[in-house]
Amino acid sequence: MEVIIYICLALLLSFCILAAMSQSLLKSAIFLAFASATLGVILFVLGAPWAAVIEVSACSGLVTVIFISAISLSRIKKEEVQKLYADKKQMKYLPYILIIAGIVIIVAALAGSVALPGTAVESTEDFREVFWNSRQADILGQIVSILIGGIAVYVLMRESKD
Amino acid sequence: MDQNMNFQTVMLIVGFLMIIAGCYCMIRTYHILKIFIGVEIAMKAVTMFLVLAGYVNGRAGLSQAYVITAIVLEVVVAVVFAGVTIHLYKKYGNMDIRNLTQLKG
Repeated sequence: MEVIIYICLALLLSFCILAAMSQSLLKSAIFLAFASATLGVILFVLGAPWAAVIEVSACSGLVTVIFISAISLSRIKKEEVQKLYADKKQMKYLPYILIIAGIVIIVAALAGSVALPGTAVESTEDFREVFWNSRQADILGQIVSILIGGIAVYVLMRESKD
Repeated sequence: MDQNMNFQTVMLIVGFLMIIAGCYCMIRTYHILKIFIGVEIAMKAVTMFLVLAGYVNGRAGLSQAYVITAIVLEVVVAVVFAGVTIHLYKKYGNMDIRNLTQLKG
């Protein structure tokens, strides 16, 4: 199990860095979808299958579709992205920053003996019971946020009267 | 690697690195879709932290409920970002967030 998690963590970090550094927005969207799929595997291995399914379907599927739709509707080219926003120049320091930050965090974790509990307590909770019985306010919040999102898109997309 | 560096700690470190990558992506560009990518990267780290907390404490059910709420919010943010992007492009012909300061009303 641990080997799968280590491989998936390496892939997840790589896909996230590639998504941030890629000058093509389409490639960024695809790398982001791969990162979501990899995160889905990690969630599944950690014993959260419902969260994994929704992560893969919503984040890897729906968000990518929304993102690619926004890219295709705005038709901005890779050259324009580079010219207007100097993305290549802006993002070239990201790997160095991550390497330095990684070394600092690892040294701090080893020096301070920071380690999460290794043995997981066996989970006895049923997700459906918790979600539908204990976390009803969350469901209400989700419905309200979806409605607000719908209203926001309507306001943004409505045609001007003049 | 030190023996107390278990995979939970490695996940924590990778999550922090992802948040740094997302924040850097948000800070260093004016392109609205690249900013959205930065937000998404940081959100993935938060999702991973929530499930890790549930795994460590043995409360997987509760952590999954939080993750699903976070994913719903992520999708709503994505839709609103896409709406703002298209509106910005129609009005100014590019996706520079500095144009948003010119909006009135």
